[in-house]
Amino acid sequence: MNQDLELLKRCLTGENSAWEDLLRVYTRKIYNLCYRFTGRTDEAEDLTQEVFIKIYQTLRSYDAGQGSFSTWLHRVARNHLVDHYRRTKKDRMTSSIEDDLATLEEKPSPGVEPTGHVEARERQELLQQALDRLSPDLREAVVLRDLHDLDYLEVAQVLGVPQGTVKSRINRGRLELARVLKRMEGVRGPAEAGSEP
Amino acid sequence: MTHLEIENLASDYLEGLLDPASRATVEAHLTECAACRGLVGDIRRVLELCRSAEEVDPAPWLVSKILLATVGERKPTLLEQLTALFRPLVQPRVAYPIAMTVFAFSIIINAAGLTLRNLRFEDLNPRTWYYRADRAGHLMYARAEKFYYDLRVVYEIESRFRQLRGQSQDQEEQAPKPAAPGGGSTQGTPPGQTQLASTEGSRVEATVQAGWASSAVGAQSGLARAGRSQTP
Repeated sequence: MNQDLELLKRCLTGENSAWEDLLRVYTRKIYNLCYRFTGRTDEAEDLTQEVFIKIYQTLRSYDAGQGSFSTWLHRVARNHLVDHYRRTKKDRMTSSIEDDLATLEEKPSPGVEPTGHVEARERQELLQQALDRLSPDLREAVVLRDLHDLDYLEVAQVLGVPQGTVKSRINRGRLELARVLKRMEGVRGPAEAGSEP
Repeated sequence: MTHLEIENLASDYLEGLLDPASRATVEAHLTECAACRGLVGDIRRVLELCRSAEEVDPAPWLVSKILLATVGERKPTLLEQLTALFRPLVQPRVAYPIAMTVFAFSIIINAAGLTLRNLRFEDLNPRTWYYRADRAGHLMYARAEKFYYDLRVVYEIESRFRQLRGQSQDQEEQAPKPAAPGGGSTQGTPPGQTQLASTEGSRVEATVQAGWASSAVGAQSGLARAGRSQTP
């Protein structure tokens, strides 16, 4: 936390190396947030870049009294992602859930017992596809809490809603995610679903 | 407790955020209701799946791309500039010729007898280098030649000693042994033979001295020749 503030101070004095250090610390986190929202690596890269350009331009507006720098960063990123979601809503309408499910069905089932690495990668893909099916409100709450490990207060600060609402969204998001995962595993077939704990 | 209440409390229950009383009520319901048990199990699985999810690695160039888009092209520091300047020198294809050049120059400087601390104007003349190198070469040759001749002299002396010793032994064996007078010792050397041996010894010494003198003359003449050829 103090390290962030120190870097921030140096950034504000025009020290480019401090900005570079800040980027190295947070690029991965923001990229992952973008990836969890979009489900696409190329789009996540572009969004990460846009988020950091915005951060760079509004660095002076950060108020340490309103929360940590990390929370502020997440809030800016989340707002940008919401804007992006609204902007690209029309484009996404063309690809339906049925198309995605068809893609899942087409995936060849491995004949042999998959290795740990393949299994982990498949679980990741499954989780990402399930997240893509959640509504943005629920998805962002679950991603921030369960994937980015933010506590309820931080999630509330990022989303700008009361903690009670955050709790409710996270709970509903998890329930929805569990239902989607079950449905997807039903489509994939019992052979693959057998890997569940 | 209803199914809906369990649905609402499922996350708090799994995260351990319920007070003991509520927790006991939820657990009591779960032991009786298989559907709610299944629901809580599904949410637990979702939590496990999310927490075991690994972070996705961004492309390695992403930070550079963002830097370029924000602060523009960064000016390299002095250290980075120096490192970039000397980086090619570390490459084997550059380092090897440089090392060989330094080695060749050190040989030339040594051969030309140049002392870098006291350089004079004439030291910079390649002609001087040539003459000095030539002189050093001839001196070295003369020393080697002298060494060779010295070795030859020593071997020659040794072989002549060996030869003469062999000759004297043969003569001793061939000489008839005089009949020992009654009561006289047969081991004693006759007076004539002692004289012969001393004569032979002086002849050996003379031969050795002559050989030594001729070798020394040869070596001296070699050195003299070297000295003549060194003079520029």
